Amino acid sequence: MAEPATGDDAERSGVPLIALHQVTKRFPGVVANDAVDLTLEKGEIHALIGENGAGKSTLMRVLYGLYPPDGGRIEVRGKEVKINSPRAALALGIGMVHQHFVLVDRFTVAENIILGAEGGSLVDLDRAVKDIEEQAQGYGFKVDARKRIDDLSVGEQQRVEILKALFRGVDVLILDEPTAVLTPAETKDLFENLRALKDDGKTIVFISHKLDEVLAIADRITVLRRGKVVGETTPSDTSKERLAEMMVGREVLFRLEKPDVDSGEPLLQVEGLNLAGKLHDVDLRVAAGEILGIAGVEGNGQRELAEVLIGLRPPDSGRITLDGKDITGRSVRQNRSLGCAFVPEDRHERGLVLNMTLWENSVLGQQSRAQYLGGWGALAIKKIKELARRLIKEFDVRARSIGNEASTLSGGNQQKLILARELENDPRLLIAQQPTRGLDVGAIEFVWKQILEQKEAGRAVLLISAELDEIYELSDRIVTIYEGRITGEYSPQDPPEKIGIGMTGGRGAQREAS
Amino acid sequence: MATEAVTQPRERPEWIDFLISQMIALTGAFAFAALIGAVIVIAYGEDPVFVYRTVWAFGTSRPQDFAIVLENATPLIYSGLAVAVAFKAGLFNIGVEGQYIVGMAAAAGAAIYMSGLPTALLLPLVVVAAMAGAMLWAAVPAVLKVKTGAHEVVTTIMMNGIAVSLVAWLILHPLRSDVTTTDLRTEDFPQSALVPNLATSLGIEDVIPDSIVHLTWLFPIALVVCVAVWFMMFRTRLGYEVRAVGSSPGSAEAGGVSIGGTQIKIFLMSGALAGLVGLNHILGDTGYLGSNYETGLGFSGIAVAFLGRNHPAGIPLAAILFGMLLRGQDGLAILTELPIEILIILQGILILSVVVAYELVSRALARRRQAQLGQAAS
Amino acid sequence: MPLIDLGAAIALGLRYFTIIYLTGLGGLFSERSGIVNIGLEGMMIVGTVMGAWGTVTYGPVAGLVTGAAAGLLFSLVHALATVTFKVDHIVSGVVINLVAVGLARFLSQLFFGQATQSDPGIPDFATINIPLLSSLPLGLGQAFKGMSPVVLVAFLMTIPALFVLNRTRFGLRLRSAGENPEAAASLGVRVWPLRYAGVAISGALAGLAGAFLAIEINGLFREGQTQGLGFIALAALILGNWQPLRLMAGALLFGIAQAIPLRLNDAPVVNLLPEEFIRMIPYVVTIIAIAGFVGRVQPPAAAGRAYEGAAT
Repeated sequence: MAEPATGDDAERSGVPLIALHQVTKRFPGVVANDAVDLTLEKGEIHALIGENGAGKSTLMRVLYGLYPPDGGRIEVRGKEVKINSPRAALALGIGMVHQHFVLVDRFTVAENIILGAEGGSLVDLDRAVKDIEEQAQGYGFKVDARKRIDDLSVGEQQRVEILKALFRGVDVLILDEPTAVLTPAETKDLFENLRALKDDGKTIVFISHKLDEVLAIADRITVLRRGKVVGETTPSDTSKERLAEMMVGREVLFRLEKPDVDSGEPLLQVEGLNLAGKLHDVDLRVAAGEILGIAGVEGNGQRELAEVLIGLRPPDSGRITLDGKDITGRSVRQNRSLGCAFVPEDRHERGLVLNMTLWENSVLGQQSRAQYLGGWGALAIKKIKELARRLIKEFDVRARSIGNEASTLSGGNQQKLILARELENDPRLLIAQQPTRGLDVGAIEFVWKQILEQKEAGRAVLLISAELDEIYELSDRIVTIYEGRITGEYSPQDPPEKIGIGMTGGRGAQREAS
Repeated sequence: MATEAVTQPRERPEWIDFLISQMIALTGAFAFAALIGAVIVIAYGEDPVFVYRTVWAFGTSRPQDFAIVLENATPLIYSGLAVAVAFKAGLFNIGVEGQYIVGMAAAAGAAIYMSGLPTALLLPLVVVAAMAGAMLWAAVPAVLKVKTGAHEVVTTIMMNGIAVSLVAWLILHPLRSDVTTTDLRTEDFPQSALVPNLATSLGIEDVIPDSIVHLTWLFPIALVVCVAVWFMMFRTRLGYEVRAVGSSPGSAEAGGVSIGGTQIKIFLMSGALAGLVGLNHILGDTGYLGSNYETGLGFSGIAVAFLGRNHPAGIPLAAILFGMLLRGQDGLAILTELPIEILIILQGILILSVVVAYELVSRALARRRQAQLGQAAS
Repeated sequence: MPLIDLGAAIALGLRYFTIIYLTGLGGLFSERSGIVNIGLEGMMIVGTVMGAWGTVTYGPVAGLVTGAAAGLLFSLVHALATVTFKVDHIVSGVVINLVAVGLARFLSQLFFGQATQSDPGIPDFATINIPLLSSLPLGLGQAFKGMSPVVLVAFLMTIPALFVLNRTRFGLRLRSAGENPEAAASLGVRVWPLRYAGVAISGALAGLAGAFLAIEINGLFREGQTQGLGFIALAALILGNWQPLRLMAGALLFGIAQAIPLRLNDAPVVNLLPEEFIRMIPYVVTIIAIAGFVGRVQPPAAAGRAYEGAAT
């Protein structure tokens, strides 16, 4: 074996900055990374793509020291290393910005950045602020290091995460799905920053499943599928379709059969809905047999809108009409009995009670109905178990027994159970919030088909999603939401750039620098 | 997505796994506590085997002894149930102590002021009064929690303090006995307000003398109440909603459950159960409410609830164990040089070990389930 | 009611303030590191019995030290249960309180030959008079005469507490453990030692407060002497929004409330109530205070939640 080269020698002799050789990582029952080979060069933006569960995040977490690898080796500047903690990774110059930020909301920017690297047992915030702001300027970022994190926008918070890594002198910056939470304009800003970093000699690893972005920013692209590397290419050598095919392994349908249904009178009408600070003058209408897609980056009032509509909280003002009946401010129970169904964004916090059995979860939302009750307030256990068995069979929920706890189901099966339960009572209105988050392709197709079936059956569907693909796939009409306001109405024939404008504040409205 | 039928390997149903894990946790905790206890006993120069045997013997050698154990256990069953039902909703009712003494005062009031009624009316009235008084006492922290978010641990403890003063005042003033001038107590309750001694009713008072043993019908009733609580918690809509709120309030809410309403209902039920805690003492033992009434039953109930895993099946067993330890204290005092406080320490260590053991075992079980889930998915 | 009584009431109130504030300050460190500590009462109890023993054997200063040390050691049980074994914090705290009572009886029997109290009259501290304030007219000066030096120590504790929390690396990291331990761990900060430290500080301060109670207020160890002060300290902490200066205000309020049934029974309005009802006043004040304020306070974001990550 050649003498390990270090530092500049390594660059000159062509040894990659980072090399992963046959890296393998297993979890109980699944091989997340299967003998992966990957190289990273100095001064490049390297995209790592694959669908949910392909192993891209896992691979980078191994590199960042969060998981120990089960096989293979990692070389940094030609020397083999063992990275067994983020501290070790940082010492080697590797930094990571996670998809879900790990920032202390109540601390300031400066406190977040120096945490763990305080430079002594006393903390000198003034000096820290100065150093941070200087460094940020050097990279073309602007940041007020004295502001609290919870006073910053999502894009600004992401910049803090990046600065955290840069402050520690990283050469390699891993970004995990960075644009999932950004508006198109913020994405543009981010890309500019990334190019500046690249020009400064930094290496960026860009984990994403958004092919358009990847083609726009990356120098090299590595595709993972089911834990294995299936291809490595550059944007000039490939296309979106080819990348998608590599990611999924078969031809991907970008268009499902969308049945044409004559939609009639609006089934759901929302007028002037206001919720302090979160929703402003929201007007919506959805007709029977229609799917209305609400597109927007997360955090713009979608959650509050869904919760107000289903009855989890009352609006400050405005009117909600279902089938001509005023249901403003009614409770969840009342709305369900009138035919509203709700597939929540968070399966664990709003959907299932994980500690309870499957049969108990099957009746959640309907437990006050006479058909599931016996005498003395008792539950009609037999009927409920029948219900559970039926739901599981009809929606092909993979479960061993209805007596198992809901926590034993996989994410996709949990979502299917929730969907089965919500659709069981032939709802007139289905509110679906991020219904396919975290699901694999098979489950996503299943859920999409179910939603289209609702449309066919003449129900109204309100689809709230941050995934434009999903919005396009399913919606008959599209509206955009931004900072709690409905900013535009579009059709699925409109190109994404046009919709993107709505997602950021209005028809061509200039965003003031905040 | 594969659609062929996949034959799943036959698996132990979950509840068996659960039971096994609880047994393991209990055995481990007991062994650990017994070991520590043995060490302490040896440090005192006594023989641990002898000590444990004495405790066991003092609770089981004669029917009379076991009857005392059950007598000790009776209030602890009600107390444990009170704590457990609130815990299922995620609430900590540390106020059982205050609730039961207010209950006793209310019962005393009913017994004294309604003394003319016949047993068939008076006894139920007295019991209902106890439950109502305790419920009222529990209502304050419950409503404050739901309306203002005030943490029930702090408010219930404060209510305990207020209760002690309130009941002291009641005993010394409105309820004070005219008859006795030296003791600080109420009058004797009329016979019609007292709960009959179990031994007497069964005609075995020669074996179990009713002057020494005050095991009353409240014990079998406690067991019936356990069954009723089980039914409520696992077979009724209220219990379902309580458990959902305690486990995942967000999902419960999305399922149409009113979190605040459910919390208040179950806390009131907890109070009602607490009201029964002091009844054996005043209606089965003393026959009056004195200012030296029995204290600590509320806190012991917490220990019993934890030991019994907050389950109506485990609580009576835990209560009997505690009853046995209480009885064993007498044996130790007579037959050894050990300070009886040793048993109290042991109780404490036992509870600690049990709580830790349960946690460790649940996590191990969850990890195993995750692994199996992973295997099935591949 | 002569103002001399008011002065005496304030003086006693300041002593109760000392207990509540010290305990609350300890609780502050624990909770801001992420461990909810309702076992403060139990740690205080352990401090009372061991503080009494230390004083009887070696003198009041030693008593404070043994009380604090005992509280610290005892608190490690809570730390072990919650940080290492990840038991629910409140469950552990409740159990700690139960164990403490039994432990105190045991130790009392061991050291004093009686299970529920020591002999009265244990030595206490020489008192001090605050120079200017003790000459206040109208009897208010009484409030600052015959003051225990520990009261001053309690007030002064604020300074190092604020300094450590806000200006040291330890303080920054401790607070991060209570706000977002995942963030701290992702930066290589080890969370569990910080939480152990937070709990240990709370044990030491609660134990110290307990010792002070036994030495300077009651003059002996007696079962039940803590009377819920550990929980009142918690209430003061909540009221104080987990910040030292606001905690001080809450502790002063509750401290004075404690003194009312003991020194102000003859005050106007108060003297209309039966004696037993006057004794309820501290508890009622506490309930009203936290019911009124709770909506507007924010506990440390990660307090009460077990940190699941591997210790880095």
